[in-house]
Amino acid sequence: MSTSSSRGIRSVTGAGRAGRIARRVLALLIGAAFVFPFYWTVVISLGRPGEFSDFPPVLLPHWDWSNWSRAWHAAPWVRLFANTVLIASCTVLLCLATSLLAGFAFGVLRFRGRKFLTLLVLSVLMMPGTVLIIPDYVLASDLHLLNTYWIQIIPWGASVFGIFLVRQFFLAIPQEILDAAALDGASRLRVLWSIGIPMVRPALVIIAVNVFLGSWNSFLWPVIMTSSSMDSSSTVQPVEVGLSTFASAEGTDFPGLAAAVTFTTLPVMAFFLVLQRQFIRGALSAAGGVRG
Amino acid sequence: MTATTTARPALVTEGRTRRRAPARDFRTTRWGWAYSAPAVLIFSAFVIVPTGYTFYVSLWKWNALNPAMSVYRGLGNYQRLFDATQPTFLSSLWHSLYFSAAMVIGGTALSLALALLLQRGGALLNASRVALFLPHATPMIATSMIWVWIFNPRFGLADWMLHTLHLPTSQWLQSSTSAMPAVIVYSLWHEVGFTTVVFLGGLAVLPNELSEAARMDGCSAWQEFWHITWHQLRPVTVFVVAITAITSLQAFTQFYQLSDGGPVYATTTLSYLVYQEAFVLSDTGYGAALAVVLFAVTVFFTLVRRRTAAGADSALA
Repeated sequence: MSTSSSRGIRSVTGAGRAGRIARRVLALLIGAAFVFPFYWTVVISLGRPGEFSDFPPVLLPHWDWSNWSRAWHAAPWVRLFANTVLIASCTVLLCLATSLLAGFAFGVLRFRGRKFLTLLVLSVLMMPGTVLIIPDYVLASDLHLLNTYWIQIIPWGASVFGIFLVRQFFLAIPQEILDAAALDGASRLRVLWSIGIPMVRPALVIIAVNVFLGSWNSFLWPVIMTSSSMDSSSTVQPVEVGLSTFASAEGTDFPGLAAAVTFTTLPVMAFFLVLQRQFIRGALSAAGGVRG
Repeated sequence: MTATTTARPALVTEGRTRRRAPARDFRTTRWGWAYSAPAVLIFSAFVIVPTGYTFYVSLWKWNALNPAMSVYRGLGNYQRLFDATQPTFLSSLWHSLYFSAAMVIGGTALSLALALLLQRGGALLNASRVALFLPHATPMIATSMIWVWIFNPRFGLADWMLHTLHLPTSQWLQSSTSAMPAVIVYSLWHEVGFTTVVFLGGLAVLPNELSEAARMDGCSAWQEFWHITWHQLRPVTVFVVAITAITSLQAFTQFYQLSDGGPVYATTTLSYLVYQEAFVLSDTGYGAALAVVLFAVTVFFTLVRRRTAAGADSALA
């Protein structure tokens, strides 16, 4: 009854409908404005030479693919892509393992030092990456880990967000389910593996997509950790660092650079668009976590 | 086998204790810490111990090629913070605070407005939501390159739009007064998609009764928002403010690729200066001192947030 009356108030007047249409038009315009920079990059990358500097700007592509082939042959893109995929995938696997184990420990198990370790992990949030880059560089240099895959994977193999997301999921599981499994004589690892994982799977998916994207998009860390040797650096560098190098070498070739920006960004974009539900669920769960 | 058949009367109580004991055993274990050990080890090796090590390095004129050749300086690096050599520490601190304040105020207001616009919508509004989130999902280094062209005063989209609207155009990244606003515009484009979705998450779980009651009582949409929705969203707002403040203080890539800290150091923030001093000018000790200050600023903001949030985010802690 209350719903029908409140709906009545809204739709009786024509202003309500006009407002709804205006809201949709505005949302569409804003959405288009956010995507437009990507569209314009594609236009520049498919434009004729020199055209990019026309004023007013050219807004339709000329389908000239020569910029693409010129940019594609100017750097070892395949190798750079392979590096990024390797680094991001390994980081995801490591992160899933550490988040699952620690989230299980903090959410399910009772042991001495649990409070202390939980606070220790939380304190990591206060230590920004820019502060850590100097000592970690010194450390990596001492351990001869510069210009390796290891230094790009292991330090990012644990995530506070991931641990607490898994912990939250474990806290939401009725205690009896895990206890009943333990009653059948299964070991803790066995329970975690065969009962815990299926129940926290949504959390694991959110962690996997976010860590993969975070690893793909990172820049400061890989550029510092893989740029010190001149000779063989590109053999372990990820694609974003390669793009940055390409940009400083070919800075004046705007259409070529636009092509490189396009083909290096398209895979990430496709990844996001296919899995956008998971990303949005992750951001939503951030808000849910705040509300408790 | 034989024991259970002979001791029949005790079966019920025995069964109960046998049920309880393994359950408690299952949760209580001396080896619990071992499950968290992989994560704790990674954090210790690459985050916690290095934070302390930053303090140590900041006391030296650090020799990056041969640390044994470093010269002890005590607090010398910290005294240098107040030297007048360009770019000064104080100006970079100011730029960091300027950028962060603009991102916190602008980003929070903008993403709240966008969330209100997009809430409870159909397919079309959901498509706009994805479009808004897209910049956040794409790499900063690539999108910064795009925005260098957009901000180009000769042929860029930004000035073309201002021109078409008969508004005064800007030099954007090429003038020291408009460079920081330009980086802020780019960063808002890159970040608001995420915070908008966080607000949408907050809006989605708000109870409806209060708003409906207010509407029945003849509240205008604005009154309803101001007195009810905004108030109920407070914990989410605190979260958005905190996360925006911390990411903005750390922001690096856009200053590297978009503005290169310039022109004339106008966009040299504390984070950018840490990188510049330690890795471009190879003054690792001084860079570490700057990093310690950045750390102190971050901790300060985190603690201030803790006090003002007063348990709002206890669920995260």
